Amino acid sequence: MTMELKHSWAGERMPWLGGLCACLFAPVFKPGSKYLDTLPGLIAVALAFLTFSGVVLAVYYDPWHAFASVQFIDRDVHNGWLVHAYHATGTTALFGLLYLYLFRAMVTRGYRAPGELVWALGVKLLAVLLLVGWLGFVLTGGAAAYWSLFKASNGALALSGAPGAIGNWFFGGTAGGNALARLEVFHALLALAALVVVGVLFSARGAVAPKAEPGKGVAFFPYYLSQYLVALAVFALIFSVLAFFAPHFGQPRVNALPADPLTLPVAVALPWYLLPLAGVAGALPGIWGGILGVVGALAVLAALPWLDRSGPSGPKGGLYGFLTWVLALDVVGLGVSCSPLLTGLFTLWYFFHFLVLTPVVTAMEAK
Amino acid sequence: MAETTATEALGHGTESRRGFLTMLTGAASAVAAGAIVWPLIDALNPDAQSEASARMIVDAADIAENTAKTVQWAGLPIYIRKLTAKQIADAQAVMTSTLPDPAEFTERVPAGYQNYVVVVGLNTGTPCALEGNDPADPRGDYDGWLCPCDGSMYDPLGRVRSGPAKTNLAIPRFKFINAAQLQFG
Repeated sequence: MTMELKHSWAGERMPWLGGLCACLFAPVFKPGSKYLDTLPGLIAVALAFLTFSGVVLAVYYDPWHAFASVQFIDRDVHNGWLVHAYHATGTTALFGLLYLYLFRAMVTRGYRAPGELVWALGVKLLAVLLLVGWLGFVLTGGAAAYWSLFKASNGALALSGAPGAIGNWFFGGTAGGNALARLEVFHALLALAALVVVGVLFSARGAVAPKAEPGKGVAFFPYYLSQYLVALAVFALIFSVLAFFAPHFGQPRVNALPADPLTLPVAVALPWYLLPLAGVAGALPGIWGGILGVVGALAVLAALPWLDRSGPSGPKGGLYGFLTWVLALDVVGLGVSCSPLLTGLFTLWYFFHFLVLTPVVTAMEAK
Repeated sequence: MAETTATEALGHGTESRRGFLTMLTGAASAVAAGAIVWPLIDALNPDAQSEASARMIVDAADIAENTAKTVQWAGLPIYIRKLTAKQIADAQAVMTSTLPDPAEFTERVPAGYQNYVVVVGLNTGTPCALEGNDPADPRGDYDGWLCPCDGSMYDPLGRVRSGPAKTNLAIPRFKFINAAQLQFG
């Protein structure tokens, strides 16, 4: 089939087509991949899906009447409620997949050489998508969204020097139509940037994927395609249940009210996927504490391959595996904690895990 | 020979079973993809608000004889005029072959509601809103409409009678849904 296509009319004029088919039909992949290995593929699918539904929403969205235009989409646009649910649930699904993907890499320790770049790109994707997700949340124009934007933009505008200038440039004023108009553009632009990151992640992942021994490999088509289809079907099932039975999953309830500059909600609430990072940011005092918390939390996560001292083929220690699960609980705790003391402790543990426990325990276990 | 072919077609060979499963998977995937994509495409159709204004319903019962009412539809000023018996008789008496843009009486009025004229109220020469909706307005020599910009004159049916303009007033897409209401679009 590859040869046929190479010498076909289209194949002669577009050589990459033959190359693509060679990738699909070449028996080079190791058989027996796990279903969870399809996570990056599902992330790409979810991201593409969010892009399409986002394009449709952008047709009707009006940053100057943000909340009203979302209501308009829900009520007056054909299937608008469904496209809205696609986008909201797509976000939940995307972050679910991404958190699962990163956690799995931590548990299997797939981040170690030669997978460092893939890991770092995964964390970069998380960072970009957290920003995109926050911007999308802010665009809803609800009460929670308004005050989240108000806090962030006011904090940024109060900074002096270059950071303040960047804040001014990014937000273009405090929470209002003027800010939302440009944040809508940034939301779309950064979503496309996330697609690029996924593309780079795929190529980096392909470069370090274990190759099959000659004569023992299988082709992507149909061997792994069917695995992807099964994974996609399960994903679609979970997605449908969420979209139709819990369309507001993980969204703060107060966001169902329109933004009111004169009414401050009791607490600034965020969607579920932002909560752990917001916990870290909130544990440190001041606007610089918040920025430091966000950057630091993501930086230590990205540095994990170098903080792990066990070497590329060191043994998988039981204690470190246990600590990884404790870290997962810690991150969940950061998300659900309501008391400043607990949030502080969880934040402390988060950095303690990466900066102290990881190098010490892995080095100890590698001996 | 025929029996062998039938047996193979029933799917006893691995080849045909695989083919059947491939077809089944492909068909299910196509249906699923269609179901997912359809709302996205459908959402790009005009929304309910645009659709409602594109098929606007106008009340014609409140129009007095010899006056016209202005409504806006599809970005155009639309004049709905109720004719007097004399205007109808005059319009029917005109030799259409003598007109700059010949049109019969029945071509200019809706069937069944021949005392109404519905036109786009823009002069077909220099684009200007025409005067003459109110009996007190200047109406030109033919008791119809007068263009304040280039002096073109129209009769009550919206047929051009004199002036730089050469074509009759355009008639929008509409129909009477009952004696009191008409719907555009």
